[in-house]
Amino acid sequence: MPSWSFARASSRSGTASRPDPTAGAGAPAAFLSTRGSSVSSWLDYTINGLIVGNVYALVAVGLALIFGVSRLINFAQGSIYLVGAYIGWVAVVQLHTPLPLTIIVVAAAAAIVGLIIERFGLRPLQNSVRIAPLLATIGISFVLDQLVMLTFSPNPRALPSQLPDVRFQVGGGTIGPLDLLIAGVGLTSALLLFVFLRYSKLGWAVRAASQDRDAAMQMGVDVNRVNQAVFGIAAALGGVSGMLVGMYYNQIDTAMSLQATLKGVVAEVVGGAGNVPGAVIGSLLLGLVESYGVAVFGTSYRNLFAFLLLVVVLVLRPNGLFASARQAPPEPLTGTFIAPSRPVRIPRWALAVAAAIFAILPFFPVSFYVLQTLINAWLLGMLALSLTLVAGTMGQVSLGHAALLAIGAYTSALLSLTLNVPVGLAVIGGGLMSAALGTLLISPSFRLRGHYVSIATLAIGEIVSLVILNWESVTRGPIGISGIPPLSLFGYDLISPSSIYWFSFVVMAVLALLQGRLLTSHLGRSFRAIRDDDIAARAYGLSLNRYKSLAFIFGGFAAGVSGGIAAHLYSYINHETFNTQQSILALTVVILGGLGNVVGAIVGAVALVGLPEVFRIAAEYRILIYGIVLLLLVRFRPQGLLGTI
Amino acid sequence: MTASTPEPLLALSGVNTFYGQAQVHFDLSITVARGHIVCLLGGNASGKSTTMKIILGLVKPRSGDVTFDGASLIGLTTPQIVRRGIASVPEARRLFADMSVRENILMGAFVRNDRDAVAQDLERMLTLFPKLGQRLSQRAGSLSGGEQQMVAMARALMSRPRMIVMDEPTMGLSPLYVDRVLELIRTINQEGVSVFMVEQNASLALEIAHEAYVLQTGKIVLSGPARALKDDPRVRDAYLGGSEAA
Ligand SMILES: Nc1ncnc2c1ncn2[C@@H]1O[C@H](COP(=O)(O)OP(=O)(O)OP(=O)(O)O)[C@@H](O)[C@H]1O
Ligand SMILES: [Mg+2]
Repeated sequence: MPSWSFARASSRSGTASRPDPTAGAGAPAAFLSTRGSSVSSWLDYTINGLIVGNVYALVAVGLALIFGVSRLINFAQGSIYLVGAYIGWVAVVQLHTPLPLTIIVVAAAAAIVGLIIERFGLRPLQNSVRIAPLLATIGISFVLDQLVMLTFSPNPRALPSQLPDVRFQVGGGTIGPLDLLIAGVGLTSALLLFVFLRYSKLGWAVRAASQDRDAAMQMGVDVNRVNQAVFGIAAALGGVSGMLVGMYYNQIDTAMSLQATLKGVVAEVVGGAGNVPGAVIGSLLLGLVESYGVAVFGTSYRNLFAFLLLVVVLVLRPNGLFASARQAPPEPLTGTFIAPSRPVRIPRWALAVAAAIFAILPFFPVSFYVLQTLINAWLLGMLALSLTLVAGTMGQVSLGHAALLAIGAYTSALLSLTLNVPVGLAVIGGGLMSAALGTLLISPSFRLRGHYVSIATLAIGEIVSLVILNWESVTRGPIGISGIPPLSLFGYDLISPSSIYWFSFVVMAVLALLQGRLLTSHLGRSFRAIRDDDIAARAYGLSLNRYKSLAFIFGGFAAGVSGGIAAHLYSYINHETFNTQQSILALTVVILGGLGNVVGAIVGAVALVGLPEVFRIAAEYRILIYGIVLLLLVRFRPQGLLGTI
Repeated sequence: MTASTPEPLLALSGVNTFYGQAQVHFDLSITVARGHIVCLLGGNASGKSTTMKIILGLVKPRSGDVTFDGASLIGLTTPQIVRRGIASVPEARRLFADMSVRENILMGAFVRNDRDAVAQDLERMLTLFPKLGQRLSQRAGSLSGGEQQMVAMARALMSRPRMIVMDEPTMGLSPLYVDRVLELIRTINQEGVSVFMVEQNASLALEIAHEAYVLQTGKIVLSGPARALKDDPRVRDAYLGGSEAA
């Protein structure tokens, strides 16, 4: 019997636990690989693919409904799925509800969460810039995930399904009651949704609003009510999906959230954003592709296939497999994506004074702790410089920026460890590799716009982490790289906190100065012209690909250097050291400072790294705080502290 | 300077509209008398469509008032305004492309709850627009431009409005369909629905309108009974002036 099915079957009886199906990376099963291909196991893989596809469909359909009506990718969908799983746990384990009641409780509670998100998180943003709701859903997802984690602890829990543990032979494969339940819930939901959309008045309003919002309003459709309905339905389906997955693997944990969002988004975009039947087909396709991929290459490749599928679809058919040419382009121009504002002018002398104070800081009796905190701020500052250039100046809102850190870190670590390259040069090598590889990886998405850029970069970020996990001969796979030599310069090791502090500060300051020069140059103006109106920019003869490449080369270098330095500071890195949470943190920093604003990026980094330290906020509350900061910024000060440039 | 009757159904008074910094309307005042067809003429970018959007509440004026049947529409949402009895035929029709023709027409009755009467009205639309009969289950997006215009007009009528606002209903239609549309507007009007329409084609619009206004870069430069304006040499001048400015 192939090990994959074995892992699945054993988890059912509760003896072994598998993390959520969507979280292949980092799972213990990553070491297992399966090459058995008898007919019966293929049938098992097909059944498994369709069942998992059903689960994805419950998430993706909600995303499609929301995208249809609001042109918004709801990054909080996975958090609702997570909440659904934990509500299911409370119902089953603590309240001992019977299964039908559990499903109803989960659906209702999740729907309420969805309604709250719509009413208080998103409706106030109706008239803001296009990126605001997207960022808000990211902030909401951080807040929800952290609240669940704080309430239930991050440790995984078992979620028993209450169904008998039997399996039936079907043809050559086997199928259990839970498979049937999931298929049943999937089909019933699809049917209910179909009836709702086709025969109810509100359903008509949803369809009309998703085809032409203004025209629907002119028919008397109250778009707020439609939005509410769509969020309620999406949340109910997502919550039930999370509960079912928890039962399927008899395990729930807080890592489920992001993975579910990612999978749902992949399925939805593959099917054609906003297309509900497309989302179902995209989900089943994704489930099958993953299941067969796992069959051939092993569990740790599951997500790789998902994201490769996404990137292939985005590149070949950016509107998805089932979008027709007649659909209006879902994105407005990039220009409307950034909150316009007048940047705060900071006099040169003030910057010079601030830089001088930070430069001489180690001469004063400051604690190791303060220096350590500021070193972290400078490293984050470099990443933020990179992101503010790409997202702010160039308008390409990247959600996968941590991948550039990872590339720089691995390159620098491996150069110094295996080729004995001096660390100073290795770090520069990391920067160059990040610039080259990052630009190369992102280049297929250059023709995408708006939200699609964000999805593509998110996927590319995940792909980088999965390649690191699986390319064992070079990256040492899940074991990671240890014993990375410390920073050194011209043969002198930088061990003391002050020397590390100076090194990172100077590197960051140089990068910031260069970027400042860049912004005022002709090149910088071209970047902004493309951001503000790419069609006009192209009409003036600017080559978008060339300028986007230049922005990513420059940004990739800064991020790669930051990752390289980090690798030598940490002395150990693995595929999870640089994760999506860091990408989002960097984005929060950049928005806090003001998109495109060089000084803002550094101020934002110092604030987000420093303030939690100043107020001695416990580590587990930090992500929660970042989420809240992001939400408040989007709502009340989208141009950031220092203004967008 | 306006061609006013004692109690107008719709009145815009002193409307100033801005998109960001750019002012689109300057102290705009327009009245539509009950039972009349009123036409707003003007060249490209003179602010005609924005006037429609002001009436429908899709764009908010910075100052000035819009009243319908004596009550102000300022502060109401578009659905609320629609419920007061104003239906619209938007610029470029804006049908729900993936819904069937039948569904599109019925969407027009969204604000109504009298199912039986709605069904009767659907039948009435099919006598008014006989060509749509065979197209009912077809995707609206697959119709020709002229057919789409028919659907848009039927859709607007389905709410049993007191007034219909139309944005360039003849745009892009073949001469045959243009005549048909104008004839239908007259028919609709004779059944008691007031019409406010935006047009670029002055000579056509003045055929059927009772009153007309000429808009030039956001200002009313001329207004009066359509009969009088038809022969007014300034109409052509003002009108052409608007086009050149665009
Ligand atoms: N949403 C908007 N944001 C900013 N400016 C706008 C917007 N809509 C219209 N405008 C500008 O307002 C002015 C008037 O536009 P409007 O659409 O009302 O003109 P119009 O008379 O209907 O033109 P056309 O004959 O081309 O339909 C134009 O200069 C247009 O560019
Ligand atoms: Mg217009």
